[in-house]
Amino acid sequence: MQKLYTDPLTKGMLLLEDWTNKIATSKYNPFYYHGALPQFFLWVLFLTGLLLFAYYIPTIDNAYASEKLINAWTSVDYITNTIPFGAVFRGMHRYAGDAMVLTIVLHVLRVWFTDRYRQYRIVQWLSGVVLLLMVLFIGQTGYYLVWDDRSLILTRMTVSAFDALPLIGGPLKTWFLNGEEITNLTLSNFLFIHIGLSFGLLFGLWIHYVRMQRPVITPPPAINYILVAILLMVVAWMPIASGNMAQLTQQPTSFEIDWFFLWPYWMMANMPLGAYWLVLIVGTVLLCLIPYTAKTPPVEAAEVVLNKCTGCSLCSKDCPYNAIEMVPAPAGSRFKLLATVKEFRCSGCGVCVGACAFDAIDLPNLLDTDVTSQIKALVQN
Amino acid sequence: MADSKQKVVTLICERSCDLDASLDATGHLKEVSEVSVVKFPCSGMIQPLMIEAAMKSGATGVIVTGCQIGDCYFREGNRMIRERLIGDRPPGLKKTVDRKRVIALWLSRPQTGRFISEAKSFVAQLAQLPAPAPALAPATAPAAAKPAAASAKTAEAKKPEKKSESTPESGGANGEGK
Repeated sequence: MQKLYTDPLTKGMLLLEDWTNKIATSKYNPFYYHGALPQFFLWVLFLTGLLLFAYYIPTIDNAYASEKLINAWTSVDYITNTIPFGAVFRGMHRYAGDAMVLTIVLHVLRVWFTDRYRQYRIVQWLSGVVLLLMVLFIGQTGYYLVWDDRSLILTRMTVSAFDALPLIGGPLKTWFLNGEEITNLTLSNFLFIHIGLSFGLLFGLWIHYVRMQRPVITPPPAINYILVAILLMVVAWMPIASGNMAQLTQQPTSFEIDWFFLWPYWMMANMPLGAYWLVLIVGTVLLCLIPYTAKTPPVEAAEVVLNKCTGCSLCSKDCPYNAIEMVPAPAGSRFKLLATVKEFRCSGCGVCVGACAFDAIDLPNLLDTDVTSQIKALVQN
Repeated sequence: MADSKQKVVTLICERSCDLDASLDATGHLKEVSEVSVVKFPCSGMIQPLMIEAAMKSGATGVIVTGCQIGDCYFREGNRMIRERLIGDRPPGLKKTVDRKRVIALWLSRPQTGRFISEAKSFVAQLAQLPAPAPALAPATAPAAAKPAAASAKTAEAKKPEKKSESTPESGGANGEGK
């Protein structure tokens, strides 16, 4: 057997979890729901976002400006100051986004440190990188929508960043602004990106989950209540307020940074744009390559013993990775179905062996007959 | 040590508590020599048939050990064997297996000490149970009420069908259902 868990980071993570277990018990250990936590915050964001969407007006200005100004900034102001609990929902929407990034980072670190990101999990890792980029970009568009000073700077910085890209830079800029300059159409495009891409997350999550049987996507209610309570406390302590309304004629120069979402703008401000894109692209590629760095022997996939399989499909139901498919049995078989292993999905964990009452599926490197004779030898010696 | 004739087999996930340093060359625990250890890549691979095989070939007790529930490296293996032992998921453990002689422990990697102390107390409890007639004899009538219950706690001693251990009619004769 290979040496397991020798990495100091892994050991540290396991000790931390052991310590958390002593306080929270394994049933409520948040580390055991690390993937479900961002998913929970996603639902919070959808619900609060729905309420904000009901009153949000995606324009930068409007023809009746003199009388009673109606635009993105004033609609956000209306949500915050007039609608009952509007400020609470706005605050929850902001901080749930931050919490989502935080829990995604926790999720990434845990799967990395506990070695759960390679081989048969490659689809999860790669789709996870894409999902992370999507979440960061969606979060940034959220900051444009408020349409205060900061939104204006961020928009202009993004435009100049796109401008720095060769070939695709121009079209990207036009797409981003929905035209050649900032207009009402720009904000409606931002709103579309913000919401449309959020629904795109659901598609990404489907790919993220598709190779897993029964993915854990909901933390236990107790954890959910605690998370919402923490969220509300943060909202109460640090209420969200907009800056001044953006004026296209002005050139604001500094803004407050939200380190969960806006760190790319800090990079933009502190390095040449070419270097910024290089860091971003190389960083993403490296992130995608992480699973390929560890050298481990390939998984030896489970093998079905064809003449023993009765087609009962217990292994197929129990396989944690959806790696066993029941196919029609060949003609002449006594049974209707036959289990087949999709080797590229198989983790070699042996859960299917435990599920089989007919010894009809085996790990090639650890036959269950060998295990049984090992048990007998140990008992009888 | 070795005072009794207890022979306990541990079926353990290799990612659960770290026993590498606690085993002697023959696969027995150094501190509790009655307990031998068989490692699996995942506790989900453990077949109830294996537990029955161990009992049939003379083991007086079986300890099933997986990682903390919720922390299976392969996502669900420990839940699977847990549900199989309880009887919630086929294939289950035969009724002929004396439930007092099977416990399950869910332990994380650093909990080696916990495993050894649980193993010790399990061996002690087995010694108090009425001697098992060799090879799966009919269980004895006066159900020894007190023993196993103690080790429950968080580690969850597994005895779903508490008192009513079965009185099998067929004794050891029933093979492995094949």
